Amino acid sequence: MNVITNSDIKSTIAMAALQNVIDPEIGLNVADLGLIYQIDFDEPGRKINTTMTLTTQFCPMGESIVDGVTQAMQQTFPGDTIQVDLTFNPPWSYDLISEEGRKFLNR
Amino acid sequence: MLGASISTDPVKTTSYKVVLPFYAYASIAFFVATLLLFFSAPAFGRHYFHPHVIAITHTMALGWGTMVILGASHQLVPVLIEGKLFSNTLAYISFALAAVGIPLLVYAFYTFNMSWMARCGGELVIGAVVIYLINMGISMAKSKTENVHAVFVFTAGLWLLITTIVGLLLVYNFSIPLFSEDSLHYLSLHAHMGIIGWFLLLIIGVGSRLMPMFLISKYANAKLLWWVYILINMGLIAFVFMFLYAPPVYCYLLPVTAVTAALLLFGYYCRQAYRQRLRKQVDEQLKISVLSVVMMILPVILLIIMIIGLWVAGENARLVLAYGFTVFFGWITAIILGMTFKTLPFIIWNKVYHKKAGLGKTPNPKNLFSNRVFTGMAVLYLAGFVLFVTGILLSVVFVLQIGALLLLLAAGLYNFNVMKIILHKPVMP
Repeated sequence: MNVITNSDIKSTIAMAALQNVIDPEIGLNVADLGLIYQIDFDEPGRKINTTMTLTTQFCPMGESIVDGVTQAMQQTFPGDTIQVDLTFNPPWSYDLISEEGRKFLNR
Repeated sequence: MLGASISTDPVKTTSYKVVLPFYAYASIAFFVATLLLFFSAPAFGRHYFHPHVIAITHTMALGWGTMVILGASHQLVPVLIEGKLFSNTLAYISFALAAVGIPLLVYAFYTFNMSWMARCGGELVIGAVVIYLINMGISMAKSKTENVHAVFVFTAGLWLLITTIVGLLLVYNFSIPLFSEDSLHYLSLHAHMGIIGWFLLLIIGVGSRLMPMFLISKYANAKLLWWVYILINMGLIAFVFMFLYAPPVYCYLLPVTAVTAALLLFGYYCRQAYRQRLRKQVDEQLKISVLSVVMMILPVILLIIMIIGLWVAGENARLVLAYGFTVFFGWITAIILGMTFKTLPFIIWNKVYHKKAGLGKTPNPKNLFSNRVFTGMAVLYLAGFVLFVTGILLSVVFVLQIGALLLLLAAGLYNFNVMKIILHKPVMP
């Protein structure tokens, strides 16, 4: 889970919250799946910008997953403005799955 | 969601409203087909050119197989091409035309009345296919991504169009002599363009993308899939020419060999995807779909026996019936029974829970249907299928009726689970 961030402490809190957002098909959370690329905290402006991807573009569950990330961030950082941007550059690959994620899939 | 701003554009997928009517219609058609099968079981002890057999075959091919595949492809093609579906309205029109056309056609076949009802039904089905192809074609043209899976799907749609046009011409041929021979003569041409051109190409095109996705497998081999594509199309085109120019019967082994080679390559592709999977646990729904890949072999074996039999001793009507049955009630049904429960629960889950995701524990999509009912359905289906094929080969009406009853019960359980999913209400603390 190598997430680019400007606040390691807040990013750890965010990633813990994002462990509750599950990809319904795979059954694994978005953090361990490696879908979160970057979380930037603009503290004076109380704005959080999350850049993430999906396992495939036009994924049928994509809208739910993005909504889930937004809502989990909103719940964790109430009062902050949450922005979630999608990127497919670089595209998601299996190598982004964390060790915990691989253990989960290997059960 | 105070102040939240999401760039949702790249994640907007086909609306569930487009897909659900196709699934609901198909599940009812499956039940109707098994009901007709139960009441017409004795017809399967006779010749395959029987009104009830033709009606049941078209209920299965169009109402069940084609409708569920059309519905699913409206959802899955955007995933394959990484682009949006061009038009929801065209999808609704395509559904409406097919939904009206199919019962007209089936009723006309059942009563063997090839007048206006059969013609009108056939024309509506062709209209549905044309609109589907326009929608898919524009969606693919607008997408920047070209891939082998999309080419499979579009080519399959073209074969479906040719199949339905030939079918309509055969209906007209009953009253207006359009061809040199009667319609029965052209039945195998019409059937194989549908089975190989439409169903096989489409199932391989979509399956080769979905199987690695569901298994979370790294395996990809576009070159191998292009070979599969070439072998199937060359085999089918060769078959069409051979049919029209009537060479010696053994020549038909050439297209059969090409398609068998394609199936073996696809089998190898699935095996590699399975072996290189990250997800070790494979659910029941995917197992049924993997089983259907194996079930492809059964009609191929029957086809080879039929051709050798035709060469040595002439046509065996029972083998032809068993062959058709293993295609529609075996291979195609098995893949749909499995894949329905890999796709429909997610479509409904997305509809019911997408605004609740991340706010607390939501049910797993797999919990939207009863797994016990699914297992019961799978057992009844397999037992019914084996008994019915045995009944056809031995020409024993009692065995046919028991097999049909089990298939009817399986269809009932399938419908129960489909309705349970569609009518699901949110369950959250």
